[in-house]
Amino acid sequence: MTIVLVVGFLLQSSWPLLQQQGIAFVAGTEWYPFESLYGMLPALIGTLWAVALALLIALPCGVAAAILSAELLSPRLRSTVRFGMELLAGIPSVVYGLLGIWLLIPLLESQFELLTGRTLLAAGLLLALMILPTIMVFSEDAISAVKQSQREAAKNLGIGWDATLWRVLLPQAWPGIRIATLLSMGRAMGETVAVMLVVGSIDRIPEPFYNLLQPAQTLTSRIGREMAEASVGSLHWAALLFCGLILAILAMAISLLTHRQRLVV
Amino acid sequence: MNLSHLQYRDTISKSIVWLLAIPALLVPTIILGYIFWKAAPVLDWNFISGAAEGIGFGVTEGIFAQLLGSLLLAVMACVMAAPFALGTALYYCIYASSRQQRLLIAMFNMLQGIPPIVFGLCGLVVLVNLFSWGVSLLSGAVVLAMVLLPLLVLNTLAALERIPLKYTEAGRALGLDSSDIIWRLWLPRSWLNLLTGLLLAMARALSETAPIMFTATVFSGVVWPDSLFSPVTTLQTHIFYLAQEGNDSQVISIAWGSAAVLVLLVAVFGLLARVLKKLEAD
Repeated sequence: MTIVLVVGFLLQSSWPLLQQQGIAFVAGTEWYPFESLYGMLPALIGTLWAVALALLIALPCGVAAAILSAELLSPRLRSTVRFGMELLAGIPSVVYGLLGIWLLIPLLESQFELLTGRTLLAAGLLLALMILPTIMVFSEDAISAVKQSQREAAKNLGIGWDATLWRVLLPQAWPGIRIATLLSMGRAMGETVAVMLVVGSIDRIPEPFYNLLQPAQTLTSRIGREMAEASVGSLHWAALLFCGLILAILAMAISLLTHRQRLVV
Repeated sequence: MNLSHLQYRDTISKSIVWLLAIPALLVPTIILGYIFWKAAPVLDWNFISGAAEGIGFGVTEGIFAQLLGSLLLAVMACVMAAPFALGTALYYCIYASSRQQRLLIAMFNMLQGIPPIVFGLCGLVVLVNLFSWGVSLLSGAVVLAMVLLPLLVLNTLAALERIPLKYTEAGRALGLDSSDIIWRLWLPRSWLNLLTGLLLAMARALSETAPIMFTATVFSGVVWPDSLFSPVTTLQTHIFYLAQEGNDSQVISIAWGSAAVLVLLVAVFGLLARVLKKLEAD
């Protein structure tokens, strides 16, 4: 019910835009509200880059940390690490935003000699930091859920720690790690406050496409920046609500994937 | 030769794991330390109680009003969401067919995945403008309650599922009807777990910024809202606005102080939930 309501309201409110411009504006590259140009492509690509970057950094590190804490550390140290991670997972996103502005951005500016540190790279790094605890906690659950007898069997076969990890532990923990990845993907995509403080909020497709050291825009940062400026009921307002609709649809697609996986497991 | 080869490989993969894991463990810890190090100069009792002097442009050094606003919003949201969550969970356990059960679970998983800002947008369209509640405590609390609802429902379900099935069957065999089973059996057996869920929801509510940014908060000037329909100030949005106040280092240090207080507050609720969980397990 609630889902239908949410999507319905968003669709109804963004209807004027769809009516006037068709659906083609989604692929447009120009976003100038004052000239009624509402191209969604820059923000879509920005969101994609930020999420991909965050996962690229956080996934290997998070899973490695999970392996470390589940397999190599003593139980006492392990519960300490876990407790710390759960604590970190609770840090509010706005605090990460503050860190981004006053720690990460000056750092980037001095490292890369940039005019402004507000870049896609900053957003990606910050998001990676935010989703790291989630990935770690879920992966650790998945890895320690593998039965002890399996580890012992592997040891008896004499296949070594390395092969045990790749052939026994990771394949069995994979469904859990996959769910962790999808969940944190959704979180990274929908994260607003921290991203909008560091991403620069300039509607531009990175040029060339792998240049992460430019200011960009994500769907969420656009909503956050411009919602207060748009007047109620205007086309601009409708366009921003349409961004929200895209976000909602993407998020639901991701959770559908998660859910199907859960049923199989 | 073969054995040493194996050990060699083990050492390599172990060191790769260590290499990747060390930053994952260290960086967040350093960052947590950094927040408190930055906040240390302003953190004292006057800062929290709001008695410290104002430094102009609506910025007071104390954060009492913001603290109050955050807590008020979070408590109201929890109070609104909790009965709905309990009701939904009970419906799920007692009346829903297995098809409906699957549907409900899928739906709440989906709702949980929807970004909070989308709820904020809906609140802005429906509550603030359509119902003309304005930017107010009530709008913010309702939006926040919507964000919390899936979390609470899933937690409540997990709590109820932890009651052994034979208890319920024994109750049924004794001829108890559904309301007796709920009041005499399920609630007494699971209230600690339900409370844990509520505490986690509080922690979540305190850490959300996006949904209340457009619906409930103003920058300054409110200590205690006059009615349900007046806006509040919160710690989250306070940090958000102060973070963008470029060049005044004193303002930034207030932001760090607020951030530290917020982190502590969320951690306290998280810790309480943990303690309760342990208590229940014993």
